[in-house]
Amino acid sequence: MDPQDLETLNALLEHDVGVSEKIKEQVKEFDKRGRIIVGILGKIHSTPSNSMPELLDSVDPVLLSCQEITASIADVIPPDQFWRWKDMWSNSMRTAVYAAALIQYLRNGTLLSMPRASEILGIREDWKNFSMPVEDYLHGLISMVNELSRYAINAVTLGQFEEPLRISNFVKEIFSGFTMLNLKNDSLRRRFDSLKYDLKKIEEVVYDVSLRKLVPPAAQTSQ
Amino acid sequence: MPKETVLNIFEQFRQDIDEGNDRRERLIKASRDVTNISKKAIFLLHRIVLEDSTDDRALARRAASSCREKLSEANALFALMRPELAGDRFWRYQRQVSPGLQEYIEALSLAHYIEHDALISYQQVQDALSDGDGRFFTLTLSDYLLGLSDLTGELMRFAISNISRRGGRLKASQVCAFVRSCKSDFEHFTPHVRDLSKKQSVTAGSLEKIEAAAYAIAVRGSEYDLPQEMLDDLVAQATTRFNIREPDEAYM
Repeated sequence: MDPQDLETLNALLEHDVGVSEKIKEQVKEFDKRGRIIVGILGKIHSTPSNSMPELLDSVDPVLLSCQEITASIADVIPPDQFWRWKDMWSNSMRTAVYAAALIQYLRNGTLLSMPRASEILGIREDWKNFSMPVEDYLHGLISMVNELSRYAINAVTLGQFEEPLRISNFVKEIFSGFTMLNLKNDSLRRRFDSLKYDLKKIEEVVYDVSLRKLVPPAAQTSQ
Repeated sequence: MPKETVLNIFEQFRQDIDEGNDRRERLIKASRDVTNISKKAIFLLHRIVLEDSTDDRALARRAASSCREKLSEANALFALMRPELAGDRFWRYQRQVSPGLQEYIEALSLAHYIEHDALISYQQVQDALSDGDGRFFTLTLSDYLLGLSDLTGELMRFAISNISRRGGRLKASQVCAFVRSCKSDFEHFTPHVRDLSKKQSVTAGSLEKIEAAAYAIAVRGSEYDLPQEMLDDLVAQATTRFNIREPDEAYM
């Protein structure tokens, strides 16, 4: 190889390595914060509803601090190269979406929209080289459903007999949303396929509490 | 949350996902077509360099230009792919484009080597991947290097099938030295380019085959106390006679 060519290639390579190192640093921090958030959210299963707001509030500062990270990553990515690097942080991104969606559900029983998820994570619409891929958002939602199927059981243990019914309605809506998508044979598709087991688990809990008349009939119809 | 909103949200997702999947499929097809054209271009080149000729330089030039002409069909495909790969889409679908592109680079670099006895540079490949409206997309370092890695296999074929021709042994030893230097140049990039180390070991295999052929010729040649050209003549006579007897099978 011509020495000058070799130099050109080396310069290209070094630039790429530099970008990758900088992103790696940020992703490490993103991961760390994700683990802290997941750790706190693990307590929902043993938190009675009256102390839930307090628990959820304690996640906010950590979740919002991820905005610094998305901003730093967006800063490092060269123009038009978002998709080249995005695999590096998509796991952390999914965890963050999962946390934000779970918190929103537990606070007011609604589904976190994708624009709102981007907003929470500080992803601005005018950023040209950073966005939230639909896939990451959907992965986050599936993780939330997985978690809610556990929460349905534990809520009953804590005496919140109406919670499984609420969860059941919510999760069914999300499930019917997913059935509208033509997913290709990838990890999203596999995880979606496994959602039916979560649905089944939740349905069984609903069945149990209804059969034993633990839920007042009014609550059942109002849902 | 009213049910409709959730369904509306997912309706939008469906459109996005379908659009992405359709584009991916189109690019996979186009990439496969590029692979096909490139393979044909390589075979064409191998066929031409084996033709009888008194002027090897002219033959090489003709082989290279025929190969490039065939590759212009691939250029037409790349031009069609350009809008699909505009902006940040290139990196989104890079994995779908790569296989065809690498095969194309392999053919292009083979033509370049046959004509100029040199490695095609990154810039030259990028220039080939352009037309009057500018480049089709930005060439990546990894596609460039991985495409060139495949070149070594083709060169091995070229050297070995040429070894019995006049001047073939000299050519084989040149190819041998060239492949060796490519391999050592690329070594430096292996930690940073995915799959390159796999291709490096394939290159090592090709290199061994060329070396073995060169060795066999050297050993046998030493048994005759004749100058190089006369040896060439002897071998050439023998192989020509063989070729005349079986003209059809030779090209099967």
